Amino acid sequence: MSAQPVSQLSGAELDRRRAASRKLGWALGAVVLAFYLLGFFIQR
Amino acid sequence: MKRPVSLLTALSACLPLTARADYRWSFPEPATPIARDTLAIHNEFMLIITVLFVVVFAIMIYSMARHRKSLGHEPAQFSGPRGRLQWFWVLVPFAILLFIDFVLMGIPAFHAVIEMEDTRTRADMVVKVTGYQWKWQYEYPDDGIKFMSNLATPPEQIGNAAPKGEHYLLEVDNPLVLPVGRKVRVLLTSTDVIHTWWVPQFGVKRDAIPGFIRETWVRIEQPGIYRGQCAELCGKGHGFMPVVVKAVSEPEYLAWRDAKKSELAQAASGSDRVWSKDELLAQGKEVYAQQCAVCHQPEGQGLPPAFPALAGSKVVNGPLLGMDGRPAAGSHVDRVMNGKEGTAMQAFKNTLTDVELAAVITHERNSFGNRMGDMIQPAQIKALRQEAK
Amino acid sequence: MNTATTTTANGHAPHGDGHYGGALRWLTTTNHKDIGTMYLTFALIMFFVGGAMILAVRAELFQPGLQLMQPEFFNQLIGVHALVMIFAALMPAATGFANWQIPLMIGAPDMALPRLNNWGFWLLPPAAILLTLPFPLALLGIGDGAIATGWTFYAPLSVQGGIGVDFAIFAVHILGISSILGSINIIVTIFNLRAPGMTMMKLPLFCWGWLITAFLLIATIPVLAGAVTMLLTDRHFGTHFFNAAGGGDPILFQHLFWFFGHPEVYILLLPVWGLMPHVLATFSRKSVYGYKGQVYGFVAIGLLSVVVWAHHFFTAGLPVPALLYFMYSTMSISLPLAVLFFCWIATMWRGSMSFETPMLFAVGFIVLFGIAGLTGLVLADVAADAQYHHSYFVVAHFHYALFAGGIMGVMTGVYYWLPKWTGRMYSETLGKWHFWLTVLSFNLTFMPQFFLGLAGMPRRIPDYALQFAEFNAISTVGAFILGISQLLFAWNIIQCVRGRGAPAASRAWEGATGLEWELSSPPPHHSWEVQPRVK
Repeated sequence: MSAQPVSQLSGAELDRRRAASRKLGWALGAVVLAFYLLGFFIQR
Repeated sequence: MKRPVSLLTALSACLPLTARADYRWSFPEPATPIARDTLAIHNEFMLIITVLFVVVFAIMIYSMARHRKSLGHEPAQFSGPRGRLQWFWVLVPFAILLFIDFVLMGIPAFHAVIEMEDTRTRADMVVKVTGYQWKWQYEYPDDGIKFMSNLATPPEQIGNAAPKGEHYLLEVDNPLVLPVGRKVRVLLTSTDVIHTWWVPQFGVKRDAIPGFIRETWVRIEQPGIYRGQCAELCGKGHGFMPVVVKAVSEPEYLAWRDAKKSELAQAASGSDRVWSKDELLAQGKEVYAQQCAVCHQPEGQGLPPAFPALAGSKVVNGPLLGMDGRPAAGSHVDRVMNGKEGTAMQAFKNTLTDVELAAVITHERNSFGNRMGDMIQPAQIKALRQEAK
Repeated sequence: MNTATTTTANGHAPHGDGHYGGALRWLTTTNHKDIGTMYLTFALIMFFVGGAMILAVRAELFQPGLQLMQPEFFNQLIGVHALVMIFAALMPAATGFANWQIPLMIGAPDMALPRLNNWGFWLLPPAAILLTLPFPLALLGIGDGAIATGWTFYAPLSVQGGIGVDFAIFAVHILGISSILGSINIIVTIFNLRAPGMTMMKLPLFCWGWLITAFLLIATIPVLAGAVTMLLTDRHFGTHFFNAAGGGDPILFQHLFWFFGHPEVYILLLPVWGLMPHVLATFSRKSVYGYKGQVYGFVAIGLLSVVVWAHHFFTAGLPVPALLYFMYSTMSISLPLAVLFFCWIATMWRGSMSFETPMLFAVGFIVLFGIAGLTGLVLADVAADAQYHHSYFVVAHFHYALFAGGIMGVMTGVYYWLPKWTGRMYSETLGKWHFWLTVLSFNLTFMPQFFLGLAGMPRRIPDYALQFAEFNAISTVGAFILGISQLLFAWNIIQCVRGRGAPAASRAWEGATGLEWELSSPPPHHSWEVQPRVK
C-alpha cells in the first residue's frame, strides 16, 4: 500500500461526505432505538 | 495445562508452605457416575487442548528462534496460500479442528449431556431443595420431612477470633441425608433470589430459581460426607451457605428417616401446650442466633439501611397484631411470618415451626433494650396459620 | 496526558476547532486526536481505579477468614471492578485507538461527525462518577453502597439491591449511549471518508476489526439498555418482568443480558485482533498473511457471537435441545478463531523478526489468549461445564481472555503507536521490564485460579474453605506484583507525553507499512488535508 498526495480535499466534497455520514448516522440511530423499543414487547 | 502445572509446582515449592501440601490439580474424587464421566471427559479435553497448545506454539517458537533479523534472516514475500499444496496444508488444521470439535469432543459431550439431564428414568426417590438467603431447606415429599440446613461454623472463626476448624465454612447443622446406590431426583427452587446447588464430588450443579422448579439427579456410590457450596452470587451470605450431604447405607437411611419423622412430629405438637415466657425467651434466643443474627446482627443493631436495627425498631416495639387480632400489615407478627416484599426479609412462616416463630417474636420484643413485656403463644401462631389457609 | 500530545510537541499552536486554550479546549475539542487522547487518558485512569478495587479484593482473599472488609463491601468491589474495567477502561481504550488511528489509516482529515465525537467522550466521566458515587455516599450515610450483584445485574438479586443498582443502571445507560455514538461515528467515517483507491478490501485490518465491533455494539447495547430499563421498572414501578409471582421470569433477564454480554466479549477483543496483524507484520518485516481470511474471520465471529449467548447459563436448567444447540454453536466459534491464530503465526513465519516491546506484547498476547481460547473450548461442553461453571475456573478463563487478550492487546497498541502519537520513542528498557513483569505476574495470579476452580471454589465468595488457602495466597501475591508493574507502563507513557526520549521518525518502525506512517510523528492538526491515493 503506497500513498501519494493527489488532490486537496475540497470544502464541497468534504461537506458532501459529511452530509452522507450524518444521514447514515441518523439511520443507525433509528435502528438502535428500534431494537431498544422492540425489547419491551418480548414475552416469556 | 501440563506445562503450567509443572511451572506452578516449581513455584509453590519455593513458597513457605503451611501444614497442608495436598495441592489439587483436578476435580475432587468423583462420587457419582456423572462425576466420573465428567472427570473422564475433563481429562480427555485437557489432554487434547494441551497437545494443541504445545504443537501450535512449538511451531511459533521455532519460527521466533529461527526467523530473526539478528540472525540475518531475510523476510519471505508470501501473503497467503499459493497453489494446491499450500492450500492443502492450510486446510488440514481446520479439518483436524472440525474433527476435534464435533467428533472427539462433541460426541462424548452429547452422551454426557443426555445422561446428565435424564432425571426421571428409574428415579428411586425425590428430594426437594429450596434456596433461602442464606441457607438451604431440604424436603422429602414422600415422607413429609422438611428441615433447614444452616452454616455451623461459628462467627468467631470467620472473624479470626478463634482457630478455624477442619471443615471451616463447609459444615452445617442438619445435612441432607441420602441413601447410597439410589437414584435421587433433586428438585430445586428458591424463595428469594437465584442460588446454585453444587457438590463438586457429584459432578452436577444446578440453579435454584424463584418461582420455577429445576431438576438434576445424583446416585451416590460410597457412604461418606460430601461438601459443596452455593455457587451463584445471592447477596452478602453467598459464601456462607454450604451444601453438606451425608450418604449412608439403606438401613441407616431408613432409621434416620423414622427418627427424623418422630422428631418433627414432636416439635409440631409443641404448639398445643402453653409455654412460659422464660421458655419462649430461651428458645427464641437460639432461633434468633440461627435465623436472624446474620442480617439484624447478634445485638439487634442491624446493618442499616439494608438490614434495619431491631433495637428500638418501630415494628418490634409496635403492636403484635392488628386491633382485630389478625396480623395487620406491618405488625410484628405479620412482618416475621410474611416477610417484606422486595427486601431480604423473607416469610419465615415457610421455614420456622409455630414454636420457633412464637419464641423468636417474644425474644425480639424483650431484648436489645426493647421492653414490650408481652409474648405470643405457639398456639396463637398455629391458629393464625390455619386462618390464613 | 496533557496538551503536549498534539500541539506543543511539534511546535504547533492550538488552532482550529473552538480556538480555546487550556481546559476549555479539551471540553470543546472536535479534533479526533484530542478526543482519542482523552479516551486513552480516561481509560488509563479507570484502569488503575478498577485495579485498586480488585487489589483490595485479593488482599481480603489472601487468607481464609474476614480480615479487611464485610461481605457486602466485597460484593460491591467485585461488581464495580468488572463494570469499570469493561466499560470504563477496555472499551474507552479501544475507542481511543479508533479515534486516533482510523482517520490516519484511511487517509481522512478527521472523523466524519466531530461534534458527536466530542459528546461521545464527555458522556463517559459522568457515567464513571455515577457508577462509583455510591461508595462515598455510603460513607456519608446515604444508601448502602455500590451495586453488589456482580457486573451481571442478575434479577431478582438486583431487584432486591439498594440505590447502588439504580446508579449502575443509569451509568450503564450513559455508557451505552456513548458507545453507540462512537460506533455510529466509526461506521460512517469508514464508509464515507476513505482515501481514493482504498476499497473495502484494502481497508486496514484494524479498521475492519473496529467496523465489526461497531455493528455489534449497535446490535446489542440497545438490548442491554432494554434489560436494565426493565429492571428499573421492576424495582420502582411495580412491573414483573423478572418476578415469577407476577408472571415474569428471572431467566429472561439472563437471556437479555447475555445476548448483549457475549458479543461484548468480542466487542472488547475485535479491535485488538484487528491491531495484531499490523504489529506482527511490522516486526516480522513481512506483509500480513491471509488478509481476506482474517476479514471473513472477523465477520464470521461477529455473526456467531450473537447466537451463542446461553452458554453463560448452562446450569440454569435449559431444555436439552437448547443445551445441545448452544454447545455446538459455541464450539464452532473455534473455527474462525483458528483462522486468526493461523494467520498470526503465518505472518511471523519466515519473516525477519525483532522483538521490541510491542512485538513482545503481541507474542505474549497470542500465547496467553491461546489458553483462553482452548479453555473456552472445554467450557462449551455442557457436561464438563456443570463442574466449571460459577467457579474460579471461569474467572481464570475470562481473565486470560480479557486481561491477556484485551488489556495486553491494548498495551501492544499503545507501545506500537505511542511514537506516532507523541513524536517520542518510549524507553525500551522500561517497556521490556513492564512486559516480563506483567506476563509472569499475570500467570502467577490467574493460573492458580484454574486449579481453585477445579478443586471446587465458587466465584464471588469473600471467604473460603481451608483447602483453597495456598492457591489464593499465591494468586494474591501475583495480583499485587501485576498491579504495581503497571506503574512502569504509566511512567513510560508520561515520559513520552512530556517530550522525553528520542524523537520518533514518521515511520517509527523499520517494517511499518500503512498510511499512518506517511504522516509526521506527531501528525499535523488536520490529519490528511490532502487525501492520498491508494494503489
